Formats: sequence, C-alpha cells, structure tokens
Amino acid sequence: MRNVSIVGMGTTEFGVLDAGVKDLGVRAVSRALRSCDVNRADVDALYLGNFVAGILEGQENIAPLVADSVGLTGIPTMKTEGACASSGIALRQAYQAVATGVHDVVVVAGVESMTNAETTEFTRALNSAADTQTEGKTGLTFPGFYGLWLDRYMHEHGATREEVAAIPVKNRANGATNPRARFRDPIAIDDVVESRLVADPLRLYDCCPAADGGAALVITASDRAREFTDTPLSVLGSGHASGRSGAYRYEDLTTLDATVTAANDAYAQAGISPTDLDVVELHDCFSAAEIGDSEDLGLFEKGEGARAAAEGVTAVDGDVPINPSGGLLSKGHPVGATGIGQVYEACLQLLGEHENQVDGAELALTHNLGGSGAVCTVTVLGRDA
Amino acid sequence: MPAFPATECADCGELYGFPVVACRDCGCESFETRELDGSGIVYARTTIRVPGADHQGQEPFEVCVVDLADDIRITARVLDNPELGPDDSVQFVEARDGVFFFEAA
Repeated sequence: MRNVSIVGMGTTEFGVLDAGVKDLGVRAVSRALRSCDVNRADVDALYLGNFVAGILEGQENIAPLVADSVGLTGIPTMKTEGACASSGIALRQAYQAVATGVHDVVVVAGVESMTNAETTEFTRALNSAADTQTEGKTGLTFPGFYGLWLDRYMHEHGATREEVAAIPVKNRANGATNPRARFRDPIAIDDVVESRLVADPLRLYDCCPAADGGAALVITASDRAREFTDTPLSVLGSGHASGRSGAYRYEDLTTLDATVTAANDAYAQAGISPTDLDVVELHDCFSAAEIGDSEDLGLFEKGEGARAAAEGVTAVDGDVPINPSGGLLSKGHPVGATGIGQVYEACLQLLGEHENQVDGAELALTHNLGGSGAVCTVTVLGRDA
Repeated sequence: MPAFPATECADCGELYGFPVVACRDCGCESFETRELDGSGIVYARTTIRVPGADHQGQEPFEVCVVDLADDIRITARVLDNPELGPDDSVQFVEARDGVFFFEAA
C-alpha cells in the first residue's frame, strides 16, 4: 500500500446557491484543479459523491457529466451513494485506488443541490435513506431517529436539555466567522430550548439546515505529491463501515457501531489514539448526533459528550475542539457534499489557514455518517512528513 | 389482548419482529408466524411534529422503539400518548399496512 496525500482542494460556500448539481460539481472540481499544479492530463479518475439529484432534479450520471464539463473527458468516473456519507465513500474509494496503485492522481468530489426542491419532495428524498419497508412506514423521520436517540440518552445518562443545547450554540458561534457557512448568526441556549419542537425532545435549533454545495479534492501518491503543491497533507487513516438499518436494530441505540468500527480502523491505520487528535470535524446533523459521535469516536466516555460541550471542552480553544467550522448545524448539510466539505475544513486547519484556527493543529479527524447509522467513513489527516 | 405476530425462521427458529425474506442467521427463506404476548416496554419515544411526505396531516404522532417478549425489538407507532417514555408499558393493538400500533398498557 502506498501513502496518499491531498494536494488540491476547492469548495463552494454552503447555502442557498440557486444552482443544480452539475454546476456545483463543476465549480468545486475546477477550483480544486486550479488550487494546485496539476494538469488535466495528469488526472487518472474522478469519484463523485451524491445522494438525491436523481430524485430532486431527475439528474443521474453526474460523475461523467462533471468530468466532461471540467475538461476531464475520457477518464474513468463513478458516483458513490451512501446517503449523507456519499462523498466520504467517494474519498474512501479514491484513497484505495491510489493506495493500491490502480491510479496515481484522482479527483474526488461531493455535491448536492437541495434548496430549490418543494418541501414534500425534499422530505421524501431524505427519507429514502431510511428502510422504507420498516421504519419509513411508521412515519419516522431522521429528526425522529435522533429524537428517539436523545430520549434514550437523556434517560440513561441524565443529560439536561440545556447541556444538549450547548452544542448548537457552540457550532453557531463558530459558523458566524466561517464564510462558507449557511448560518452566520450566533444563538443562545434559550433560543434552542424555546424553539419549536420538531421530533421531541429535538427542537428546531437542534437540527441542521439544508444547503446546496460542492467540495472537491485532488489526491495522489505521497511520493508524487510535491509535483503538485508545496503543502501536501497526508491521509493517515481511512475507515469505512456499515451499521444498522434502523432504530430497532440497535441493542444500544446510543452507540452507532458503524462509527466505532470505522474510527477504530482509521485509528489503527494511522497508529494513533483519539487523545492524539488536535481537531475534529464530525457529523452533527443534529445536536444529539454530535454528542453520540464524540463518544463513539472515543473522544469522551459514554454519557459525557453533552457535558463536555456545556463545559467548553469542545470549543475552538478547548481541549478537544469539535466542529470549529460550525459543523453541519451552521454550514448546512448538502448531504452528498458534506464529507468532502468536512475534509476541506480540516485541511485548512492543518495548513494553519482556518478562520477559527486551532493553535498548532497537526492531526485532524473527519467523520461522515449516513442514514440511521447505516454507513460511516472516518478519515485521519496530518501534515505531510 | 391481541397477540403480536412475530416471524419465525422455519429452519433455525430465529425470531423477527418485522417480516423478512431470508433468515439473517441461516439464510432459510421459509417462515412461520409465531404469536407473542403483545405486552411491551418502551425503549425510546419521539413525537413527530414535522412529518415526511407520506404522513402529512397526521402530525403530531408518536413513534416508539418497543421491546416485546423473546428479545424482539421493533419500531412502532403508539396511539395518542405523548407522555409515554422509556420503561413505560404498552400493549399491541393491531398491524396495519405493515405498521405495528400500540397503546398505553
């Protein structure tokens, strides 16, 4: 296996962009190609993550369409789909292709356009990530899944609503200074706990907003990385696991085991433990999700995730900085773009160029989760040796 | 009290709450219905106030994860009782269009 480096990256802002998936994908990939000294003739393949363009736009076959539009006609392309983890999977596949020597230079992207859709079509599309034969028929939504999660978590671990609310408050404060975020206005604890109920005990400000967006990377074998940039970053560990197909499938609903498995694989490959990490971008589609993710990733003991956020441990200047980008709760959640968007934010941290910079960040983790914990990718990133 | 219609693998006897087409343990594709006591315990509850496209107009409604006898756990609807929570007792009422409905016991 070869070591793999990130040598280029590009993104759109995440928000209401009034553009379709092809155009957003083209923007992100073009920006990634322009960010480094790669020629189009150097690129061996393109992997693109997307979730709902087929449902919302009637647009499938996106990977070759984007490739043709950015001057990469002729190379092999593929779309990856795993709900909200679609582009985390794209990175994983691209990583494997480079690590095993199948390709030398791969463009990997994620893209989604959601805000133009009617609400009923939008919710139908998102709910297609659940098992429609079992839980879909009950009317359980994804806020509902995390409502169940939080109901059980508060029952078992005694977390208070105010402690949980500290997470959206923190992430919205971080998002306020991130020009790529959809929401850039801070909120207070009272705003969260007094916002309208969506799926008890989850309230409106516990939930991430939809967004449009695209993000892309150029990756290559590490021994070629400096052909393309003076500041390559290393992919030190890559984990990818599948999990349970619904809330009823968990013996312990508050532990989404796909995260545990993917994280343990990534930690083992990178030769690190969770305490070594300097900065984490994890999948906070809901406040409850950030609590669970932080525990499943081994950053906190079970039952301590909400309290840690309330005590400031996960702030940008805390001991375990989580989602200094503002996370999905501020950036928004263009589902197919989210995984690569997280990597983009983590790379800025490692380059020392983030708007909410964690001092001296050398080791970062990104965590991308899809469905009812049905699929997860975890990536450990570091400065190139 | 209505019995709960669990699905039992005809080969290895593995029990399922939801119908399945192949046994997760042995791969057998033949099943029989086995009636369980319809009394259950709530594991977790939420109230859906913003429904998906197929459930517009039904809100608010309760969805629970319920534990039945023989370690069967299912996701189900609970009729008109937003006060129910973990460890509360519920009783199976009926299965309708593939959805299991319970009420407070």
